[in-house]
Amino acid sequence: MSTLYLDRPSPVHRLNPITKLIGVVAIILLVFALPYWWAPLAILVLIVTPAALLARVGGRLLIVGGAILVPLLIVVAIGQGFFNAQGETVLFALGPFEFKLEGLLFAAAVGGRTAVLVTAAMLLLLTTHPGKLLAALTQNGMPPKMAYVISSTLQMLPTFRARADSILLAQRSRGLKTRGNPFRRFAVLVPLISPLVLGVFVDVDERSTAMEARAFGSTGKRTALEVVPDPLAEKIGRWIVILLAVGALVLGFAGFYPNLEWP
Amino acid sequence: MITLAGVHYSYPDAEDEVLKGIDLEVDAGQVVGIVGASGAGKTTLAKTIAGFIPHSEGGDLAGSVEVDGIQVPQAELADVVSRVGMVTQNPFNQISGARYTVREEIAFGLENLGVERTEMADRVAAILALLGIEELAGRSPYELSGGQMQLVAIASMMVMSPRALVMDEPTSQLDPSGSRLVFDVMQSLAQDGTAVVVFEHKLELLRETASVVHVLADGVIARSGPAREVLSDPRTDEWGIGTTRFTRAARAAVAQKLLPASTELPVSLADATGVFS
Amino acid sequence: MIDIAITDLVFTYPSGVTALNGVTLAIPAGQRLAIVGQNGAGKTTLVRHLNGIFQPTEGRVEIGDWDTKGRDIAELAARVGYVFQNPDEQLFARDIRDEIAFGPKNLGVPKEEIEQRVTAALARAGLEGKEDTHPYHLSLSERKRVALASVLAMETPIVVLDEPTTGQDARGVALIGQVVGEIAAEGRTVIAITHDMDFCAENFDRVLVMAGGRVIADGTAEQAFAQLDALAEAHVEPPQLERLRTALGWPAPVSTVDEFVAQLKSRR
Repeated sequence: MSTLYLDRPSPVHRLNPITKLIGVVAIILLVFALPYWWAPLAILVLIVTPAALLARVGGRLLIVGGAILVPLLIVVAIGQGFFNAQGETVLFALGPFEFKLEGLLFAAAVGGRTAVLVTAAMLLLLTTHPGKLLAALTQNGMPPKMAYVISSTLQMLPTFRARADSILLAQRSRGLKTRGNPFRRFAVLVPLISPLVLGVFVDVDERSTAMEARAFGSTGKRTALEVVPDPLAEKIGRWIVILLAVGALVLGFAGFYPNLEWP
Repeated sequence: MITLAGVHYSYPDAEDEVLKGIDLEVDAGQVVGIVGASGAGKTTLAKTIAGFIPHSEGGDLAGSVEVDGIQVPQAELADVVSRVGMVTQNPFNQISGARYTVREEIAFGLENLGVERTEMADRVAAILALLGIEELAGRSPYELSGGQMQLVAIASMMVMSPRALVMDEPTSQLDPSGSRLVFDVMQSLAQDGTAVVVFEHKLELLRETASVVHVLADGVIARSGPAREVLSDPRTDEWGIGTTRFTRAARAAVAQKLLPASTELPVSLADATGVFS
Repeated sequence: MIDIAITDLVFTYPSGVTALNGVTLAIPAGQRLAIVGQNGAGKTTLVRHLNGIFQPTEGRVEIGDWDTKGRDIAELAARVGYVFQNPDEQLFARDIRDEIAFGPKNLGVPKEEIEQRVTAALARAGLEGKEDTHPYHLSLSERKRVALASVLAMETPIVVLDEPTTGQDARGVALIGQVVGEIAAEGRTVIAITHDMDFCAENFDRVLVMAGGRVIADGTAEQAFAQLDALAEAHVEPPQLERLRTALGWPAPVSTVDEFVAQLKSRR
């Protein structure tokens, strides 16, 4: 399985995946609705961090989130600092290029929101088994065939990768040189991709026969062996979160927030 | 339970018939083996009994294919799959990929049929027990060995309570211990009343498990009879199904007059021990 | 004539799992060597060191005067041909002729010679008349033989076969046994991983039994299959005639029908 999921006994893990999904969407809406520079920071400190610690996935979140965010934030900061059109206050200069305060502040605002988006989504994936997420989605009206396509693709990715590795080894064992000029590398692609694609066709064909034998084509009502629990408290909580996020958005459109200098 | 009469079949757009007049009878509680060289039509026959021919493959099918009281070619595929299950060579491609534990994987077919939850749980538990794989229930289907995966594929079929099970070379990708597991399970399913048809190359295992063996050669049944008799027939090499060393040793011994000409030729170790001691 | 020398080979996967626990082995040119053992015993890991797919964690692997250390798989392919277990992970060409020509082409064999080699390899693998077929119109057993032919055409001094008989019917198994004999008769080495003990007993000079990343028995088929403790440890069932001979309580090992009948005669 190629997923981020970490199995831990925690209340965050036990939440219904739909609750977590709505929570993540609401948080993202909030940070984009609220024009305050401290909003992303507050959400990171008050919601994401405690939830990650409670779920005992803080370390992994830091590593995986950092790997995505740090390079991104550096690029945004450099790009905006040097080239933002609103820039006036020069902080320092590198040859003909001037690094300006306004650009940096813009980068911070964008970066803060991105950080919330990435860490919140990551937290969902770290604490939610993909099977449970899809089961919950199916039980809430997602078409089972769509859920099947997503989950079987997820489960098959590692196999697909392993097969690609085996094909490469098999062709190199027949003397195929994979190093060298770009033309040679292009020529290498046919013996690699062709078995991979044909293999997928064969698999899909065999699998669809096997699934038919298990009544997957049935059009009647389906049931589920494992029902994902969805207590009333969570349902109420979800509505409160949705109302908060929608409220923040409506207030923004109504011009409630002061016109701050932050974008 | 399974009755084929005068079955002819050719694939779509193909001129030559693959099945050229097959008659076959399998009773409930019986394990019937079908052997034949590559290209003899084994997989085609398996798919015909299980209904994928003509339902999925199309082509021209003539004759009667009756399983558990229904005419397979005319029935709805959904009715067919609730009467006859099929297990194929590659266990990996029989795993749905949509479920994350063996229990849920086995329940997948019942979920599709809308079986009620508590009944579903009972049926899954019962099949896990029948196949002796309770300890796999909580594991991920993708972490199993080939033999275990094949048992899960069998369980996934059997949980739908078909009266007949078709196995198309179920052990060809398994090691010897995995193969034995699958054959043991076949035996217990038959004792439970299922009609089992197994297409297989491993003669020794067939001799130990199947009561009757049919030889498929070039689209027709060339020979039928008790497993020991058929698998030690002098024409096995001609049919491309091979001979066990037990048979060959006994045949050589008869030729050199070390055994009487009337010796019933052995196929399995138990047969041979009887013949030579 | 290229000998193989494996010295104190240890291999640990990046995950930390040790798959080979100190293997020392000399394989002289022209030998037919079979490797048996349960899945996970280290058989595939061992043979994958021969053509550089794996590099030793400790110890040395020498193919003649070449140490595999630092050599690319494609370079070692000139000496070691490797037929993978699953043909579908290598067949890519539109017809079988092109498929078989691929290896020799990569090795820089001249065009006219490639044609001769392709024809010879097709005949050896029992595929005459199928030259222009698309590999995917063949059965699995035929595709396996195409993969075999594609490596035979490279005419390497060493040929490695990973489970060559799976999915083959009796004729296919007999044909592969014959190919093994022909290669060895040309002074080339054949190394095969197999679960088919009867195939093993009848077609190989030497049998290695592996378990837990070690070689636990090594000798002729008679010698190896007589070591019942080692076989039990490796979860390997002896060949049919050996099982029969043991069940009958005969002391001397047998590996062929002729040997069995000879013993029977001497006992009567």
